[in-house]
Amino acid sequence: MNRRRFFLGLSGLAGCAHDTRPRLNVYNWSAYIAPETIPGFEAEFGVQVRYATYESNEEMLAKVLTGNSGWDIVFPTHNRLQPMREYELLARLNHAWLPGLKNLDPRFQAPVWDPELAWGVPYMWNGTGIVYNRSIQPPLSRWADLWNAAFKGRLTMLDDPEDVLGACLKKLGYSFSATLPQELRAAERAAIAQKPLVLAYLNAEVRDQLVSGDVLVAQLWSTTAQQAIDAAPHLTFTYPAEGFPFYCDCAVILRESRRVRLAHQFLDYLLRPDVSARIVEATKSATANGAARALLPEAVRTNPVLYPPAETYDRGEWPRTLPPAAQRLRDRIWTEIKSA
Amino acid sequence: MKRWLAVYAVAFYAFLHLPLLTLAAFSFNSSRFTVWDHFSLTWYRAMFHDPQILAGTWNSVVIAIWATTIATVAGTLCAYGLWKRESRFITGGLYLSLITPEIVTGISLLALFQWIFRWLHWHLGLYTVVLAHVAFSVPYVVIVVSARLRTIGPTLEEAAMDLGANEWQAFLRVTLPALLPGIIAAALLALTVSFDDFVITSMVAGVDSETLPMVIYAMARRGASPVINAISALITVGFGVLIILSERVREA
Amino acid sequence: MRLRSWFLFPTWVWMTVLFLAPLAIVLAYSLLTRGTYGGVGQPWTLENYSRLLDPLYLAILLRSFVMAAAATALCLLLGFPAALFIARAERHRNLYLQLVMLPFWTSFLVRTYAWMFLLRDTGLINTMLLKIGIIHGPLPLLYNDGAVLLGLVYGYLPFTVLPIYATLERMDPALAEAAADLGARPWTTVLRVIAPLSKPGIIAGAVLVFIPCLGAYLTPDLLGGGRTVLVGNLVQNQFTTARDWPFGSVVSIALMALVTVLLWAFLRTRKEPLV
Repeated sequence: MNRRRFFLGLSGLAGCAHDTRPRLNVYNWSAYIAPETIPGFEAEFGVQVRYATYESNEEMLAKVLTGNSGWDIVFPTHNRLQPMREYELLARLNHAWLPGLKNLDPRFQAPVWDPELAWGVPYMWNGTGIVYNRSIQPPLSRWADLWNAAFKGRLTMLDDPEDVLGACLKKLGYSFSATLPQELRAAERAAIAQKPLVLAYLNAEVRDQLVSGDVLVAQLWSTTAQQAIDAAPHLTFTYPAEGFPFYCDCAVILRESRRVRLAHQFLDYLLRPDVSARIVEATKSATANGAARALLPEAVRTNPVLYPPAETYDRGEWPRTLPPAAQRLRDRIWTEIKSA
Repeated sequence: MKRWLAVYAVAFYAFLHLPLLTLAAFSFNSSRFTVWDHFSLTWYRAMFHDPQILAGTWNSVVIAIWATTIATVAGTLCAYGLWKRESRFITGGLYLSLITPEIVTGISLLALFQWIFRWLHWHLGLYTVVLAHVAFSVPYVVIVVSARLRTIGPTLEEAAMDLGANEWQAFLRVTLPALLPGIIAAALLALTVSFDDFVITSMVAGVDSETLPMVIYAMARRGASPVINAISALITVGFGVLIILSERVREA
Repeated sequence: MRLRSWFLFPTWVWMTVLFLAPLAIVLAYSLLTRGTYGGVGQPWTLENYSRLLDPLYLAILLRSFVMAAAATALCLLLGFPAALFIARAERHRNLYLQLVMLPFWTSFLVRTYAWMFLLRDTGLINTMLLKIGIIHGPLPLLYNDGAVLLGLVYGYLPFTVLPIYATLERMDPALAEAAADLGARPWTTVLRVIAPLSKPGIIAGAVLVFIPCLGAYLTPDLLGGGRTVLVGNLVQNQFTTARDWPFGSVVSIALMALVTVLLWAFLRTRKEPLV
């Protein structure tokens, strides 16, 4: 909604702008699009896009779960696709309407969570690692380094059960998607042992505190870490040696959508190399679009934080959807960690 | 002792107002950090150029006006009705509603809407937020108007009826005008509570009903930004002016 | 039907549809089982209620209780002298009252954010203290229970000043004079005469602060750094991240029950009705 419409609407107190163009409702993560992406789509296709943002998968899922949320397109993380399918929330993708799929990076043409690309179009991806102040010597390289008492009060972890438990599991040598109770309990003990050192459990908001020097070490997603590094060159990032997760946010069409064709057109629009490249420039995220990546300047294209080289990439794993019992145990463990 | 009390009062008011004043002061700081750089209006400019903030403000205003109107009408009628005839059911319900934690109100309304939507195929939207705001505003209106009714007392109305007016005329011509300052105060309270609400709104908001507090919260979660300072300063000043104006109207 | 019954009609509708029905649904949810990825489903069970008796959740309830009690005590301690000052002021009483309420009119979110702004390691307080040289490293003022307590007190302080002032204003000044005539010093008069007589206002203020603090969610979320879980956070967490709506409903009902008991106790002591 732009300023002109704001003042236009002021004159009529009805609270809704009268617009007869077809409308598409897109619900995305915050700071995940370029300023001209939506207006460009609106102009080219003669439609109106309603765009809103969320901060977490659960926030989005809570709205979407009823099957009646009003949204057409949302961007769940890859391991939420399976539960969304089981709840019959997703519309199957019609590849005939998505010629741009060939632009995807080969790694994402047949991803492990959706080999036929039948449900979601990979959008942006990132990994979780450690961002820290260069003044720390020797350089950090393992999750185990985050248990160092020297960082007490200057260390933050993510406010995310999957990432925190995952880091503890990798530190102990287990899989990121572990389901065995004894492994999860061991991870819980490690997390509780670490808690006295942790200043706070923060997500993207820790970026400013890293830049200003309040926080020396943080568990953080690569995209946010890169934004911090851009603002303060005294920061650096590493993907831990024990292993780490990758996440891919995929664009999906909800089954409740009544504008399936238009939704496909929007997804195809996002797959265009130039559009995707512009989004990357604006958001500093890593795109799953290989053709777009080729358009990026060399420094960005080969940035090891956003696009880790092969040997680093092989240490990463894509978290799987967990069985309900394991998910419930993890939820309870998270409450116990937070209350400790 | 009067001196000690005065000293304490100064410290007390400083404690209450300094945080907001500092926030407002730093909204004019050109740097995003808490070291004063130089005076600048960049953050205000950024605020006016952000479509999300503008849309959120617009939604908040529309919702507040609708919710205040409905809640004030319903609450005034209720206060008057209770004054004439006791209803333990309604009084108990009003109390209960007042003490219900916001988070419980939010999730219960979300549950209600989602249950209804199973049959009706509607969506969450501006109207669900308005309904939710009415839900928690009515008790506030009833309290304020009731207090005013007790101050006025029944004598005026009885006198009118003795002079031949029927119930409806007595209410319309005598009680209602006398009640007006209380109604204005109640409406103001409902307006503030509605504009300010975050917890309940975030649970029942739909596709196009993002409000200003939701925008502020999302920005705060992404990291401190002086734009929040600018928004806060404007909200504070805006409501301060509104309060002062209403006080003038009341005294007039 | 008399006119007065029609007046209550809108409120009847409001109460049934927007208050009782939602609560009934929450009650129903508390007896169901959680769906695999959220939502609710059959079978009907009491299992969620027995989960509440787990020491982990009882500890959370206890911690919330203590936090709310501490915030209430601080609000009363800080609010009483302020109310006394206003009641004793000869002029501008209305102005003083307005100044107390003014922060309340601004957004709660904004007021909480103001404290984040002040208390951070690079926030204003630390920056100033460092500049003056009192401290050499930033103080950890944010992301702990103290910050949450401060945020709660700051948010609800006006709610103690107003009821106490209302009681003090109606108090007969002759009582204080009599105490002075009998030789009591000013402080003794306050402690032994005025404070006990303002009990109704104190209790009202305590209730107005304690109950919202018990269910507080935003303040611990923003100022606590996610390190502590209070009841409000628990409920919110169960409805979003944990996707366990039945258990979230149980905690909500427990919270409502606690608050209702307190309200009932409060109403017993009060002579004048609120509505």
